[in-house]
Amino acid sequence: MNRAWLRWVPAAAVPAVIAAGVLVGSIPARAGDPLPQKSPAEVLTLLGQHNTRSFSGTVQQSAELGLPELPAAGPSSGPVSAGGAASVVEFLTGEHTARIFMDGPTKMRVQVMDRLAERDVIRRDNDVWFYNSKDNSAAHLALPAFASDLPLPVPGVPALPEPPAPPEPPAPPEPPALPGPPAPPGDLPGRDLPGPDLPKPDLPLPILPGPPVPPVMPTPEDLARKFLAVVDSSTEVTVGPDVEVAGRSAYSLALAPRTQGTLLEKVAIAVDGETGMPLRVTVMARGQAEPAFEAGFTSLSLAAPDDSVFTFVAPPGATVKELPVPPVPYMPGMPALPPSPGGITPGVVPDSGPDQVPPDAVPLDQPTAVPEEPPAPDKVPGSDASLRHRDAPRPTVTGKGWETVIGFPSAPGGQGAAWTESLLKDPLLSQAAVVVPGGRLLSTALVNVLLTDDGRVFVGMVPAERLQAAAGAA
Amino acid sequence: MLLALAAIPVLIAVAVRLSSSVPPGRGPAFLDRISQNGLFVAVTAMLVSVPLFLPLTIGVVAGDTIAGEASLGTLRYLLVAPAGRVRLLLVKYAGALAFCIAAPVTVALAGAAIGASLFPVGPVTLLSGDVVQPPEAALRLVLIAAYLAVSLAGLSAIGLFLSTLTVVPVGAMAATVVLSVVSQVLDQLPQLEWLHPWLFTHYWFGFADVLRQPVLWDSFASNALLQAGYIAVFGALAYGRFVTKDVLS
Repeated sequence: MNRAWLRWVPAAAVPAVIAAGVLVGSIPARAGDPLPQKSPAEVLTLLGQHNTRSFSGTVQQSAELGLPELPAAGPSSGPVSAGGAASVVEFLTGEHTARIFMDGPTKMRVQVMDRLAERDVIRRDNDVWFYNSKDNSAAHLALPAFASDLPLPVPGVPALPEPPAPPEPPAPPEPPALPGPPAPPGDLPGRDLPGPDLPKPDLPLPILPGPPVPPVMPTPEDLARKFLAVVDSSTEVTVGPDVEVAGRSAYSLALAPRTQGTLLEKVAIAVDGETGMPLRVTVMARGQAEPAFEAGFTSLSLAAPDDSVFTFVAPPGATVKELPVPPVPYMPGMPALPPSPGGITPGVVPDSGPDQVPPDAVPLDQPTAVPEEPPAPDKVPGSDASLRHRDAPRPTVTGKGWETVIGFPSAPGGQGAAWTESLLKDPLLSQAAVVVPGGRLLSTALVNVLLTDDGRVFVGMVPAERLQAAAGAA
Repeated sequence: MLLALAAIPVLIAVAVRLSSSVPPGRGPAFLDRISQNGLFVAVTAMLVSVPLFLPLTIGVVAGDTIAGEASLGTLRYLLVAPAGRVRLLLVKYAGALAFCIAAPVTVALAGAAIGASLFPVGPVTLLSGDVVQPPEAALRLVLIAAYLAVSLAGLSAIGLFLSTLTVVPVGAMAATVVLSVVSQVLDQLPQLEWLHPWLFTHYWFGFADVLRQPVLWDSFASNALLQAGYIAVFGALAYGRFVTKDVLS
């Protein structure tokens, strides 16, 4: 009997060993050398000075915004609908993984890895390719010559005098910076690029500074820049204990609003102790233990990637689309999407009226958009050019700092209500929007959007009651 | 059984050949590529057989290892030989492993063969949009088969353990197959997200990472580690059960 029990020892020991191994592995490994102490200002400087332009890494992103998850079951997942909204929402729900290769300012490749599929954006000098393996489609965009010389506009950093934020590094050649019409934001390149036939249901660009969601996936760098752009006296900046991200020890820079009146609790940016590169951005919402949004490197190599990575030739059998080059260079503050040929005739009726805030696109950008603009509503990028041109009413702003509420009046001629209606026809959005007194509320962990019955839209990183109050007062 | 597996790519290829062109984005991934490149028959066939057909055959083989001998009454004769129970167990598991390798290789070979005979073979477009020449593509196919072989190793260890529990081989076979299906169902439930990395089926579809450029090895490594864990746990359980078991048949 004794011997019989001995035979079972391995069966008990193996799981125990595995459990022990997992426990040891889950304890955050201590970095070899603790990073030298730095004040928040020094970390900001380190972050601002970083000049890492050659690396390859894997970025993982997860979002817990409280939006309905897109069905991702089945052997392959990926963008679900061809319309804009769902694909925008796609990057705001669930988890995504992408590999990023970058070498210098003009060579980069982003691979969004879906299950059994992949979406690529490849840039080499003036050639930009989009590829979607799902339907084997490619799109090519030839950047005008000036694009390679000019520093590309920094997405999400409007041309406003900057508060105490650190000097911005030169713009990386991220997809969002491309002066192109690429696509409904966050959308699949090759598949539904803005064609003449495609109504643009999501035109946040004229309203919010910079493309709200880069065509592929926001990198930690993009996000860090967006949040740093809004650091001002209403934000408390601290440095927490060192963290380890992608095997590198990093400073943990925390931006916390001083007010209690906002949904945002904290933004934590992991700043690489060696290079100053942002490695991870975590956005915490009030009353939620899980990060509302997190994007960070899971692996990172600072060696320059192999040059062949940036070479792309449209594969045989692929449908290739040539994208039109925008007639004017895209600059911050200008409408990002020039009227597309054959599309909506400009000036007739704004289908992209000021009330066009795709609620889904807001969370990422809101911090940029909101606290910056309050003093001068007419400074809202895009408003001066596109809105005045269209003779549309301007957005109203109430509150300040993180508590800002932006109200977009309804477009003339009852278009606003109609637009709201059409927006709510989207099954995903109509499912997410709940009826509240005075309109419908699209509520996420970070941002609330109130669509009033008369077509006005109120947006803010504040509780829903504040939006309703603003709507009532206006 | 290998013949049955080989029939899958043949069926797919003939069906695609006879039907009109498949619109992209419908049906299993890669299906629409077949008419352009025959090598995709192999990829599609492996993709289709991962959820059920491969686990089914593995379940039959692994579930039969010990219980089959017991039900035939040959187990005690095997044990009479001075080879020892541990050695018998190891040999039986090696046999199951050999089948784990043979099964995906069969699907790949049959797929490549039927694809080459019915469709043109040319440079292969990877998921990343890069194009590789047929020799490189064949290497990728081998890698996928290797990935699947590793993926099935854990399941066959489970089958081996279940096989030591019973003298009814069908019971062990069915239990093995059911476990693989249950594991895949659990893997689809978002409520059990914490459990997902521990399910032996979790990385089964990760073989697509081999089709990226450059190849992403992360899933291969995690999969191998996970399967090794399952082999260790269920191998130890099978050892404990088999060496303490009273063999009556």
